[in-house]
Amino acid sequence: MPISFEHVGHTYSVGTPFEYAALKDVNLDIREGKITAIIGMTGSGKSTLVQHLNALLLPTEGTIRILDRTITAGEKPKKLKSLRKDVGLVFQFPEYQLFEETVLKDVAFGPKNFGATEDEAAQRAAKALKQVGLPADIAKKSPLELSGGQKRRTAIAGILAMDPQILVLDEPTAGLDPAGTAVMMELFRTLNKEYGKTILIVTHDMEQVFRYCDDVVVVADGTIRTKMEVKDFFRDSSLCKSMNILPPALIRMKDMLTEKGFEIPEEIDDIKSLAECVAGQVNHG
Amino acid sequence: MGNITLGRYMPLDSPVHKMDPRAKIMAMLLVLISIFFPAGWIGYGILFVAVSFVIILSKLSFGYIWKSMKPMLMMLFFLLIINVFFTKTGDPLFTVGGFTVYTDAVLNTLYIAVRLLLMIMITTCLTATTKPLDMTLGIENLLKPFEKIHVPAHEIAMLISIALRFIPDLIDETQRIIKAQESRGVDLQEGKISERIGAILSLIVPLFVSSFQRAEDLANAMEARGYAPGEKRTRYKVLKMETRDYILLFCAAALLACMAWLAFFR
Repeated sequence: MPISFEHVGHTYSVGTPFEYAALKDVNLDIREGKITAIIGMTGSGKSTLVQHLNALLLPTEGTIRILDRTITAGEKPKKLKSLRKDVGLVFQFPEYQLFEETVLKDVAFGPKNFGATEDEAAQRAAKALKQVGLPADIAKKSPLELSGGQKRRTAIAGILAMDPQILVLDEPTAGLDPAGTAVMMELFRTLNKEYGKTILIVTHDMEQVFRYCDDVVVVADGTIRTKMEVKDFFRDSSLCKSMNILPPALIRMKDMLTEKGFEIPEEIDDIKSLAECVAGQVNHG
Repeated sequence: MGNITLGRYMPLDSPVHKMDPRAKIMAMLLVLISIFFPAGWIGYGILFVAVSFVIILSKLSFGYIWKSMKPMLMMLFFLLIINVFFTKTGDPLFTVGGFTVYTDAVLNTLYIAVRLLLMIMITTCLTATTKPLDMTLGIENLLKPFEKIHVPAHEIAMLISIALRFIPDLIDETQRIIKAQESRGVDLQEGKISERIGAILSLIVPLFVSSFQRAEDLANAMEARGYAPGEKRTRYKVLKMETRDYILLFCAAALLACMAWLAFFR
């Protein structure tokens, strides 16, 4: 397990009137080489959880094991910087972190901080820009001239250029149009399948969870409500409904068809085979 | 960064919290002026008792006042050193290696320390018991008479309230950017000077960009709702002076008169 949480708790502003326990007794294991979705309502503790992954926040209780490092509450952690290189964290709306004069320089900022030479950093930056699908002529532009979607991709490239083993993304597609969202999600899938990166995505979009993710973690009130494989999670919509989650459209469609008397096998997970299945039954009926 | 106490509103329930902001601002000004009269130790004693009474009445803790005072201690220390070197009046207190320290040096510093303490006590008392919006409303009302000589009272008040409103936002934003850049390997605590300058640049540029963005968004939002400075407008909240406000003003004026008498007619 590259990441495991044991009885982890995080309390903000201990000892003041603003004291607030954002995480309570979290136990969690993340599988290597998979895409894990983290879902939960606003204020459930998702952001606090992911900020523990590269030690931006340290646990106030419990132990976290990330790759070969151990972070225990109350102990001063070592090797923080190398941890931040291995776990790339992309914040929500990452465009605000752009600051260099050119796109290429900004993307090369991360690798340089982690000790790469100018040339190495520039090479890695160029590669990362290509990975996120930005045209080469953009590298010389100022980040401020780019469109919203391009800025977002530049910021993600800035993390990719660090070549992290684990990539954590906090709502990476918030505010993007459907086409931009699809490109982004495909990128994460490629990074996972071809480059073997372990990916965690915080999202509100069940369609994304259904289509792109392997595992799903439900966070509620600072605790882990459920952790299971996506295909089990959506097998039957009653589980979603018990947690006030609207299942993906395909699952709802299957439910409605079953209600109308069709026999829909559980393993159908795309719209085309569902259509064929229904067509078959209509023609025979 | 979450522990900035100076000037923060404390939501308590006390008679001072309920007073009219205009009365509180005026009273504070009167007390500030009286602090500057050279009324001697008796005068400062009276002022200290009066201001302490207001603080107790407003249910603030003295620990809170002390926290606001702390940043000033360094300044007072430097002041003491300067005084020790340049004040050569009064009786010699003691001599270290041929250098004599005079009583006036210590007395002068103590004088300033007491004045500073009193000023911080009274201003903290005002800001901790008055909501920022009430405060700007009070300032706007007090500046109204000066509109005749073209002082833009409303605009000044609007500026102050917008500035105050953005402080918590900017603190949040700064923390967000620090975290984002730390994720990219920025080390704000350690590292060589040249690295640290680069690190600070990576905070300042995004902060500037987002501040301008926010300012523009706010300006557009205000214009979209028909805001035009200088237009006549009514208020949702109308201030009204009550008996306790007049009592406060009377006490502050009495204090001022008392200090003036102690300083000049005794």
